[in-house]
Amino acid sequence: MRRKTLLLLSFVAILFVTACSSSSTSNGKGLEELTVWAWDPSFNIKALEMAEEEYKAEHPDFKLNIIENAQDDIIQKLNTTLSSGSTKGLPNIVLIEDYRAKSFLEAYPGSFYELTDKFDTSDFIPYKIAATSIEDKNYAIPFDTGSTGLYVRTDLLEQAGYTVEDLQNIDWNQYIEIGKDVKEATGKKLITNNHNDLGILRIMMQSSGTWYTEEDGVTTNIANNEALKIAFKVYKDLVDEDLMNVHSDWSQQIQALNSGKVASIPIGNWITPSIKAEESQTGDWAVAPIPSLPGMEESVHASNLGGASWYVLNIEGKEEAVDFLTTTFSSNVDFYQELVSEVGAIGTYIPGTEGKAYKAKDDYFGGQAIYEDFTNWSKEIPEVNYGMNTYAIEDIIIVAMQKYLQGGDLDTILETAQEQAEKQIR
Amino acid sequence: MIKLKQGFIYAFLTIVSIISIFPFFFMLVSATNKSIDVTRGSLLPGAHLIENIKSLLATVDIGQAMLNSGVIAIVTTVLSLVIASLAGYGFEIYQSKAKDIVFNILLLSMMIPFAVLMVPLFRMFGSISQVAPAIGIDTLPAAIIPTLTTAFLIFFFRQNTKLFPRALLEAGRIDGLSELGLFFRIYIPTMKTTYAAAAIITFMSSWNNYLWPLVILQSPENQTIPLLISNLGSSYSPDYGVIMLAIVIATLPTALIFFFLQKYFVAGMLGSVK
Repeated sequence: MRRKTLLLLSFVAILFVTACSSSSTSNGKGLEELTVWAWDPSFNIKALEMAEEEYKAEHPDFKLNIIENAQDDIIQKLNTTLSSGSTKGLPNIVLIEDYRAKSFLEAYPGSFYELTDKFDTSDFIPYKIAATSIEDKNYAIPFDTGSTGLYVRTDLLEQAGYTVEDLQNIDWNQYIEIGKDVKEATGKKLITNNHNDLGILRIMMQSSGTWYTEEDGVTTNIANNEALKIAFKVYKDLVDEDLMNVHSDWSQQIQALNSGKVASIPIGNWITPSIKAEESQTGDWAVAPIPSLPGMEESVHASNLGGASWYVLNIEGKEEAVDFLTTTFSSNVDFYQELVSEVGAIGTYIPGTEGKAYKAKDDYFGGQAIYEDFTNWSKEIPEVNYGMNTYAIEDIIIVAMQKYLQGGDLDTILETAQEQAEKQIR
Repeated sequence: MIKLKQGFIYAFLTIVSIISIFPFFFMLVSATNKSIDVTRGSLLPGAHLIENIKSLLATVDIGQAMLNSGVIAIVTTVLSLVIASLAGYGFEIYQSKAKDIVFNILLLSMMIPFAVLMVPLFRMFGSISQVAPAIGIDTLPAAIIPTLTTAFLIFFFRQNTKLFPRALLEAGRIDGLSELGLFFRIYIPTMKTTYAAAAIITFMSSWNNYLWPLVILQSPENQTIPLLISNLGSSYSPDYGVIMLAIVIATLPTALIFFFLQKYFVAGMLGSVK
């Protein structure tokens, strides 16, 4: 027995030692190697791999060490590493969602490398520069746009006597009227949404140039936010008229779209691959501009949902990281053609979006040049300051929406939400 | 009347077992389906298994991740068991006034959530990296060391040692065994079932451990299975068939270990010495 135990222990010791030695090799990081943290293998990671190839043409020794993690995991890792104060283990470049970026920039001042004057900001779509800058200081090379559109099933619209033409330049109230007719003719609900993810409110707000916070990104803007009030009313109408299918997670949302449960969805362009996964619906879809908010003159037919940008950490290798990003993501037109045709990632680099690949027609969407449309809309997206607390405030808004749907008074509810938000966020 | 009652119990148990087995069934079936069929909620086996395997192997290095998880889980389990059983044995067998105070402090440590320890721990490993990079950030030992033995495991061994017949130790002493000899030659063989139960618990929690490996391990070649699955699911358009297949593969080792040690596990939970 004793011999067996000793044998087992020595086996474990050997395992332990091999574990030590095998991984120590990966620690020697040359200057030609950069580390990046990003999420989504079929989108961001693929884009990075293509950028690496592109950059390698001139720098043959270059190696990009791409570390793939889920977005929530990256947030967790970045928070832990930055708050530990250790620069060890940090990547050179990290992808951060635009809504969250400012909370990182403000919470860890000096940890991110300032990119002002490293690239030409006028080359990028303006709302994206606003989202990645603090007081005229730029901190990121903008990447994809979350330019939104109204994905609609044209076949279902036709059954109710409508075409995509009827969806141009309408507001949400008009769209609800169309939705009622579609429901009567086909029995399908108009949109699908998750009560715990109010991206649709964010779409509506940004289309009229407002946000949960005011332009300074700090002052809470809920109780007197006209756009938010109208958005609440539209949301309630959608629920009361039974036009909203409720899903509880991402897979249910995809399922509602693919199975033909709903006639449309207002969402960011990154949904395209998921919609196209259902081959049997080829030719049945189209993308219309987003409806505007009724009664808001500022409201345009363009908005944003999601989207992310590349941030450079203020550690050794930052200049190399900047050089890599600027030669690929902020100056290479051909690279953006490949990005859109191979990955479906719509960039925010204006010269890039004027290339050939953006004009491509997509048979799945009845021959519509969707990339061109999304790009044109993205140029109209109003600039807002996402501030530090988008998701923290939205948690409060989710509760407020529940109260409102149950029949509460809108003004009182929003005032309570405003107070709550002010107390929580300081 | 009794028959009716029994019939009712059987019906109830059948329903409950179907409910508890359903997620497992859905996982197996989904691994053979296309992503779109999974989102549709198809409950019939599909013909997409080969394609799923191919695309899983093409997108990620699941073999490496299994190996990493395996090394971490095995080393953690064996070392934890050695440490915890020595501690549990010592706490119960030897007498000392400070014993109970120390033990209570130990139990209190169970109340500190790991999230609190994470940042200081990371800092520590950051400093260690400068002295000994082989056990610093982004190495498997760094994923192992902080998880070695839990207060629960020591408590578990102590409780089970309470049932250990001390007469055996006395007999051993009379026959001239050293104190370590008593532990290795008498205690360990007698407590096999306790070890088996503790091994399953530790292996499973180490295999499924997420937060600490996530933070400390960085390079893809050090990735563990739970991290790999989380990455697969992070895409804007996830391939659910492939994810389910990865989950099936990830479940196999724990399932196998449980089936092999089940007999001991149940006995260990009931108390090892009868």
